[in-house]
Amino acid sequence: MILRNLFKKLGYGILLFAVSMVMLMPIYYLMVTTFKTPAEAVASPLGIPREFTFDNYIKAIKAMNFSQAFMNNLIIAVTSVIFLVVFASMSAYVIARSKRKLFQFMYFIFMVGLIIPFQISIIPLYKIISGLNLMNTHPGVILVDVFCINLPLSIFLFRGFVNTVPMELEEAALLDGCGTFQCFWRIIFPLLKPIVSTVAILNTLAIWNDFMTPLLFLQSPKKQVLLQQVYRNVGPFSTDWTSFFPMLVMATAPLVLFYLIMQKQVIDGVVAGAVKG
Amino acid sequence: MKLEDFMSTKRKDRVYFLMIFPAFLGFVVLFIVPTIMSFIYSVTNWSVYSADIRFVGLDNFKKLFSDKKTITAIQHSIQYAILITVAQNTLAIILAVLLNKKSKVANFVKSVTFLPAVLSIMVVGFLFQYLMTTADGGVFNSIIKFFGGNSVNWLGDKNLALYSILITQVWQWTGWSMVIYIANLKSIDSSLYEAAGMDGANKMQQFFRVTLPLLYPATSFNILMSLIGGMKMFDAVFVMTKGGPGYATETIMTTMIREGFSNGRNAYACAFAVVFFIIVLIFSQVVSFFLNKWEGVIEA
Repeated sequence: MILRNLFKKLGYGILLFAVSMVMLMPIYYLMVTTFKTPAEAVASPLGIPREFTFDNYIKAIKAMNFSQAFMNNLIIAVTSVIFLVVFASMSAYVIARSKRKLFQFMYFIFMVGLIIPFQISIIPLYKIISGLNLMNTHPGVILVDVFCINLPLSIFLFRGFVNTVPMELEEAALLDGCGTFQCFWRIIFPLLKPIVSTVAILNTLAIWNDFMTPLLFLQSPKKQVLLQQVYRNVGPFSTDWTSFFPMLVMATAPLVLFYLIMQKQVIDGVVAGAVKG
Repeated sequence: MKLEDFMSTKRKDRVYFLMIFPAFLGFVVLFIVPTIMSFIYSVTNWSVYSADIRFVGLDNFKKLFSDKKTITAIQHSIQYAILITVAQNTLAIILAVLLNKKSKVANFVKSVTFLPAVLSIMVVGFLFQYLMTTADGGVFNSIIKFFGGNSVNWLGDKNLALYSILITQVWQWTGWSMVIYIANLKSIDSSLYEAAGMDGANKMQQFFRVTLPLLYPATSFNILMSLIGGMKMFDAVFVMTKGGPGYATETIMTTMIREGFSNGRNAYACAFAVVFFIIVLIFSQVVSFFLNKWEGVIEA
């Protein structure tokens, strides 16, 4: 019996070890290659670098115009997420609190966006963004990210949460003469914190990692995001892996750090998005 | 109703309207209108080559269904969606059952398995392109050769390329599905297992009789998500093979983007979008039907 348990434990351990290896090997390979010389990368792809050189990173930072591309990413992601939280929470509040047909109809229209993939609209959307003179601008990408792609799910998640907030609080506040709009921001919004974090996390992941939207709507190199810089450099660096890999690392490092620090919130956010979805 | 109350309801509705209208306007202009336009353009000849746009009936659809490349692209997307759904969910459920424990090791493996989900699909695509290369220093082939096998042309072999891309996506997204399954497992009452254990059910039987039926909420969500996600497949193909070799990995999205943007055949791409819409709709309806049936069986 004891022996059997021991074998079971051993088997479980080996299995977990194998899973970790499969998950970590590609990432380990990515990391070690960034510190190697090209010759060393070919000779021993999985070996530990003989000496750590940061030259590859310096070269990559220059080639991908890192600080500018990073700022572009940050501007697009942060603005989009703020817009999404503000617009989705207000809309969801109205939908949850008012029984008016007009608002319920609007909710129905929003939910169409959950069923139809936004990709269907992409070709006319290109025309609309050009028509609004927003082609090749950050506001253009932000508008697409917010209204075309991510708004319906955010409204859906907020609405589910607002429904659980008791009405008594705002009724009391309204009696005290607090206006509807003020009442929402002062009393209700602070109570929405958990779902704000879910919505913010899910949207940050989606927007930061989205390649197609910037690819279609941002053409000038100065305005492009990290992933576009990586894509632009893959040709010139196709034979120079050791200089290309640091670009992959730097394009994803911000989100990986974000994940490592806020692991619990990120996973809880993903779960909350699914449970209510 | 007193006049005062009436006035305040009216004012409240006005404020409500102002709170929801900007979002609604943005959504209509940037989603509803272009979606409807896609449907309208799909029956016109709009392209960069035609000076005036006119109605051409179902010409685009006829062309679409007589073009072998397009048909293959649709087949690939469907094949891809089904395979990724099966592979990802099977692995995710197994891992979830294994890792649903309160131990440091299990927690570590859980975090590690989820990690690729925060990477961009494009970065994962490039990384695996290098891992799978047949050139010197390609890791996968080095490992195969070390064990005495022959080097595999992962992305260059037209019978294999689609599956190679699939592997990268399963690697990346299994952790995402897994955490959703784990949350669902946590909600299962442990007394059910005790009861099943007393009835003499072994671990395997317990899994199929207790765990799997009660995983219904997570399963239905994850299956729908990976099916629709698989149908939309674009980034990974775009960076890893560009649809090649030949047209071996072309999907609905890569074809649509190529026709609509690179080749300037806008109306044709819109017709493709309409077909895509119909396929997604049929798919999700069929899957929902079976999932509902399953739910009915569980409740019975």
